[in-house]
Amino acid sequence: MRRITVHPILNFPPKKKVKFIFEGREVEGYEGEPIAAALVANGFYEMRESVNLHRPRGFFCAIGNCSSCLMVVDGKPNIRTCITPLREGMKVEIQKDKGVLK
Amino acid sequence: MSTYDIIIVGGGITGVATAYELAKKKAGRILLLEKEFVSAGSTGSCAAGIRAQFGTEFNIGLMKRSLDKFEHLARELDYPEDKIELWQGGYLVLAYSEKEWENLKSRVEVQHRLGIMTEILTVEEIIARFPQLNLNGVYGGTFHQRDGHADPLHTTFAYARAARRLGVEIREWTRVEGLVQERGKIRGVKVNGELIEGEKVLVACGAWSSHLMKTVGVEIPLWGEKHEILITEPLERAFAPMVISFSIGYYIQQRPHGSFIMGIGPENPAHWHDPRDFDFSPTWRFLERMSQAATSVLPMLKSVNIVRQWAGLYEMTPDAHHILGPIDEVPGLYIAAGGSGHGFMFGPVVGELMAEWILGETLSYDITRLNYQRFQKGELVREPAVVG
Repeated sequence: MRRITVHPILNFPPKKKVKFIFEGREVEGYEGEPIAAALVANGFYEMRESVNLHRPRGFFCAIGNCSSCLMVVDGKPNIRTCITPLREGMKVEIQKDKGVLK
Repeated sequence: MSTYDIIIVGGGITGVATAYELAKKKAGRILLLEKEFVSAGSTGSCAAGIRAQFGTEFNIGLMKRSLDKFEHLARELDYPEDKIELWQGGYLVLAYSEKEWENLKSRVEVQHRLGIMTEILTVEEIIARFPQLNLNGVYGGTFHQRDGHADPLHTTFAYARAARRLGVEIREWTRVEGLVQERGKIRGVKVNGELIEGEKVLVACGAWSSHLMKTVGVEIPLWGEKHEILITEPLERAFAPMVISFSIGYYIQQRPHGSFIMGIGPENPAHWHDPRDFDFSPTWRFLERMSQAATSVLPMLKSVNIVRQWAGLYEMTPDAHHILGPIDEVPGLYIAAGGSGHGFMFGPVVGELMAEWILGETLSYDITRLNYQRFQKGELVREPAVVG
């Protein structure tokens, strides 16, 4: 697990572990942490593909501005995973296109 | 002898298209002055729609010509097609009353006569073709496939680049402080307190035009009116046409880039004559009205994020038509402004015709009725199919 556990200023109180699905696999994260944080902690860096050249895109601005971490979550596209809290059982997928409205 | 044969004030679609068409006709030394950058004014803040579904023969004929030009613009100006983003997904005009529905249908007859093959669609036919729409309160609609979208910034850049290639000098970040006349004719323009001489001067600076005209004592009934627009995040193509209502005043279109661009007419717009009054601040009220209208017509937009909102100026005239042509009191002075919300879509054809007019050629389409004296004579040109 790739996580900061000790920090000079911030505290990390224990949180509830939850399971969620990333690209068909079951993975673990902490409830309420950003989805993107849980993915990075599990070693998954690709969150979407770039729109024109379809290159991998991942965690970048981490404040909901840059659209680099937009993913399909529970079937909904364009979810900013860097600011969306993780919940038990979420289905998270790499977004390959601009997002399909349903 | 003047330094320039023609000076154009304003780097919007009208100014650059006219500059290009003039240069193509080898009109001599042409200078275009823009106070900010090319497309920075009303052109660059517009909603990018282009349509021939107008109500009068005059406008339908003009826009048919403009659509013809848009369809070949990338090639003509040697500019990448994917940048101009021409998208002809059609305009779907919805009627929200029996009377509006009758009016729309009667306009289609005129459009057909001029070769604009608009279709009349019943509510059932609209649902079959565009199932995403919520048609509550709709009586019917008209649809014209060749209407659609072009990128206003790139279209203007394309004209500017092509004009430069033909020798037009374009100076950005150069504000014209006033027009200069001498012995009853135009002598040039004033920039940084200094005279730049031109045989002829064309004022094409949108809502800023009437203020500039005053510097040589010419009163033009033209004012700025604030209109707001918003744009969403991009999505895969989900909806093809521009959906529009003239009575409610909304329009919504998905751009080739994927974002949805939309606007709704202002409630009680102020008439601004003095550029110092121009206000471009976005309002919460617009955001609310627009979101309500958009999610009501296209419910699928409920889950879509808005990424940007801005305001621009409609350059309005008393009859919502351009003011075009020479100014008799000051020989050598011309105006091309007042698009009243349609300046971008008419840009290519207005540029072509203004070039003919300035060079004294026979006009290939008679636009003389759009002269500035029509307001004094009471010869207004009425157009029923407009927003806001």
